[in-house]
Amino acid sequence: MNQKNNLIIGLIIAGVVIMSANIDADPRDFVEGLPNIGIMLQEITEVDSSLFVTAFWSMLETIEMAFIGTVVGVAIALPLSLLSARNLNNKFVYVPVRALLATIRTFPSILWAILFVIIVGLGPFAGVLAIIMYTVGFIAKLQYEAIEAIDADPMDAVGAIGVSKLQLIRFVVLPESASHLLSQILYIFDYNIRQTSILGLVGAGGIGFYIINYIKFFEYGKAAVFMLVVLVTVLIIEWVSVRIRDKYIVKSQRGKQIKA
Amino acid sequence: MQQQKESSPPSISTLSIVQMNDVSASYDSKNYVLKNIKMSITRGTNYAIVGQSGSGKSTLLKLINGMMNPSQGKIMVDYRIPNISDKKFKSFMHKIGYIPQNLGLIKNSTVLENILIGALSRVSALNSFFKKFSDSEIDNAKKILKLVGLQGKAERKVYMLSGGEKRRVAIARALVQKPDIILADEIVSELDHVTAREIMDVLAEAQATMKLTAIMVHHDLQLALEYADRVAVIKEGEKILEIGVEGDKIVDFQSGNYSQREILEMFSNESEE
Repeated sequence: MNQKNNLIIGLIIAGVVIMSANIDADPRDFVEGLPNIGIMLQEITEVDSSLFVTAFWSMLETIEMAFIGTVVGVAIALPLSLLSARNLNNKFVYVPVRALLATIRTFPSILWAILFVIIVGLGPFAGVLAIIMYTVGFIAKLQYEAIEAIDADPMDAVGAIGVSKLQLIRFVVLPESASHLLSQILYIFDYNIRQTSILGLVGAGGIGFYIINYIKFFEYGKAAVFMLVVLVTVLIIEWVSVRIRDKYIVKSQRGKQIKA
Repeated sequence: MQQQKESSPPSISTLSIVQMNDVSASYDSKNYVLKNIKMSITRGTNYAIVGQSGSGKSTLLKLINGMMNPSQGKIMVDYRIPNISDKKFKSFMHKIGYIPQNLGLIKNSTVLENILIGALSRVSALNSFFKKFSDSEIDNAKKILKLVGLQGKAERKVYMLSGGEKRRVAIARALVQKPDIILADEIVSELDHVTAREIMDVLAEAQATMKLTAIMVHHDLQLALEYADRVAVIKEGEKILEIGVEGDKIVDFQSGNYSQREILEMFSNESEE
């Protein structure tokens, strides 16, 4: 390692220390506060099992919200991604669409949720709308990147037949980018479940509403029931998406069949 | 057209489907990949273009189907000037079946879906959106699958096929276009000897039954002479020879300056370089 590298690393470390002081992040507070974890852990073990039914139904609501948000969001994102791919459009089309997508991505879903609570009122619908916005912003970006990365050979070969742009999209762009899209949908669905779980924070429905309220009133045992249900759900979805990925994505990307 | 008659016999010129008159091409407007190419390809012939890699052969095909425009000179393909940006020419492009070197297949689609792409010029926008093809189109596609030896593999995904089978799919896609001309860029160059000849036989049979003009790029002169009526040899962007087999003799149509042995020797030296 040369001196220049050492200097850069030193500067980065100095930056972390100075910035920590600036925002009052003091490690001593963390050490002093450690015993509180013990209290919390003890209270978490006092699980109130009567709440499992409520937790189950609110988890179902969360999944429904995430599902609707993902499906509608992807449906909106797909045409936008086609419009923002540089290999399919001229810049008068893709520049404004990309700008719109960048604006959508600027806000985290929790801010969208607050905005929609103001527009449509408290409840899951505001949460669904927030999830849709977030999904549109992200899937459209990931998907136009996937479209731009499509192999030029099939595009050229089919383009040389003199087909229309719509035919090119239908027969080359969509099939060639489908495995990427599926992989991104699985990812965003998983992500949407987790973020829908916290949208309750601002009154936008879902299981987060319970979690945040129990934590506010220091009822960790009750909050733990809900968090446990979220954990189990996320694990199940993870397992399912791995299966789907193996079946449809890994196989086609390696160009051969793998044994299930 | 008058000028071109000078470079080829008049009787052939009137029948020619591709005419090139002093065509030069360049990707960066500095270095020419093709220089002053004169070529007249007779309708219905099997024409081969042979040369080393980087000699400009692939560019020649792209000039014929309008994916690239010449920097100088004039090309006529069936009395049209090829240019992909020209709407009129674009609507003619399905008459040219182009098989690029990397085939350009949709690997996640089935064999049938891939070859039906060749029929898209005859399908309405709405039907193509739903991937809906008429029964007669599907029958025709299946007939062509049989012709190229892929019967029973219509529902296979392309990524599961062997190299030889993939080439058959690419040929079938081009044939489904109901083309007048087939352009094939080194379609057998990566195949073993036996498979290469199988593929060439498929193309030769299709060319004969469908009365096509085939223009194929090769780097193997022996193979080209075996199948083609005429062979143009390109070296560093220039056409140095145009030869054909008449009986058991190789005839040079361009200059007549070389004997059969000289031509073969010249080429074998070239390949060893």
